[in-house]
Amino acid sequence: MEVIKNLSDKELISRLQSGSQINETVKDIYRNHFESLSWYVINNNGSRQDAEDVFQEVVVSFIDLVQKDKFRGESSIRTFLFSLNRHIWLNELKRRGRALAREEKYEKGQDRTEMDVSHFMTGREAKEQVMNLVGQLGETCRKILVMFYYNNSSMKDILESLNYENEQVVRNKKYKCLKQLEQIIAANPALKQTLKNLLHE
Amino acid sequence: MSNSTHNMSEKLVLYLDGVLPENEKAELEKQLATDTVLQEELDNLKLAKEAVRNYGLKQEVSGIHQQMMTEMQTPLRQIGSSRRIIRYTMSVAAGLLVIFAGITAYNYFTISGEKVFKENFRLYELATVRDYTWVPTIEKAYKEEDFRMVTALADTSSNPKYIFLSSVAYLQLNDPVEAIKGFQKILSMDKETGSASFKEESEYYLGLACILDKQYDKALQILQPIKDNPDHLYHEKVTGKLIRKVNRLR
Repeated sequence: MEVIKNLSDKELISRLQSGSQINETVKDIYRNHFESLSWYVINNNGSRQDAEDVFQEVVVSFIDLVQKDKFRGESSIRTFLFSLNRHIWLNELKRRGRALAREEKYEKGQDRTEMDVSHFMTGREAKEQVMNLVGQLGETCRKILVMFYYNNSSMKDILESLNYENEQVVRNKKYKCLKQLEQIIAANPALKQTLKNLLHE
Repeated sequence: MSNSTHNMSEKLVLYLDGVLPENEKAELEKQLATDTVLQEELDNLKLAKEAVRNYGLKQEVSGIHQQMMTEMQTPLRQIGSSRRIIRYTMSVAAGLLVIFAGITAYNYFTISGEKVFKENFRLYELATVRDYTWVPTIEKAYKEEDFRMVTALADTSSNPKYIFLSSVAYLQLNDPVEAIKGFQKILSMDKETGSASFKEESEYYLGLACILDKQYDKALQILQPIKDNPDHLYHEKVTGKLIRKVNRLR
C-alpha cells in the first residue's frame, strides 16, 4: 500500500522549486487542500465543476509563482492557496456578472489570514491566449518544445522519444518551432503585451 | 529570411538556451546592447519559451487533476447549520433522487446517436489573432458561422486546416458523411507527409461524426485510444461516460 506522507511547507516549496517529484507534490496539494478550497467555491454559487476548474488554476498559478521565486513563505501555503482560490473564483463570478458581494458566505470559526494576491494574478482570458498560442502549433512542435523547455529533456531523449534520425534534425526542428512561435508573437503586439503581463508578472 | 538573419536567429536561440560558446556570447551581448531589433527578437523568443513552459505546466497539472479526481471521488459537502436543515435537505435530496432516477431511466431508454453527438459536439474554436490585418475568407466565414460558405470555399483545398474547418462545418450542417470524408482525408494526408497537422483534432471530431452517422464500432475504435492516451489533445473530452454510451448504442 502506498504510504502518503504529508509534506511540510518547506519541503513542498523546495520540491516545486527544484522540479523534482512534481507529480507526487501536486498530488499532496490536492489531498491536503482540494476539499477545503472547493468548499469555498461550492458555497459561493459555484458548482463542483467550477470548484475543480478553479482548483486546477490555483495549482498552476501557485507552482508558477514558486518557480519564479515569488512565493517565499511569507504566509502558510494553506493561506496563500486559499487567497488564490478566492481571488480566482471572485474574478470568475465577476466575469459571469453575478453580484456576489451580498451573497458571499464566509466559513465560520476558521482562523485564516487573507493575503492580497491580486498583483500576482491575470485573467482567465489571458491564460487561455497562452494555451491557444502554443496549441496552434502542430503536435510534433508542441511535443518537442514542451519536452525541451518544460521537462528539460535532452536532445537525445527527444530524439529517442520521437524517432528522429539524429540530434541535429531535432535541433533544427526545435529551432523552427520556437521561431514559429516567435513570429506569431512579433506579428501581434496585443498578444505580446498579454504574454508579458502574464508570464513576467 | 537571409542567411545572416537566419544565423543571427539561431545564435539568439542558442543564447536563450544557455549553450552559446563564451566568446560568441560576449560578442552577441555587445550587439544586443545597441541593436533594438535584435533585442526585440530575443524578448519575443523569451516570451515564446515562457509560454511553452506555462503550457507544459498546465498540461501536467491537468493530467494529475484527472487522476486525483478519480482518487477523491467523495462528493463535496455543502454546509448545513442545524439538524432540521439536514433533515429537510435529506428529504429534498430523496425527492431529487427519485426525479434523477426517473431522468436517468428516461435517458437510458431514449439514448440515440444524435443525442450523444449533440451532448458532446462543441464547435471548434478558431484561435483569434487580433492584430493580423488579413484573415483568410474561409476563416472569416467560419467565424461568422456561414457554414455553407465554408464548405464551398474548402471544396478543392488541400490545406489541412481548411479541410478540417469544412469538415466541422459539415457536422454543424448535420452531414456526417461529408464530415467523415474530410477528417479521413486529413488523417491520410498526415500519414503520407509525416506531419501532425490537425491530426488529434480530426481524430476526435471523426469519432463524433461516426456517432452521428451511427457507425458506433468505428467511433469506439477512434475514441477509445484517445481516452487511453493522456497526452492526446482531446483526452479529457473522451470520458468514460461517453465510451459507455457509445457501447450501449452498438
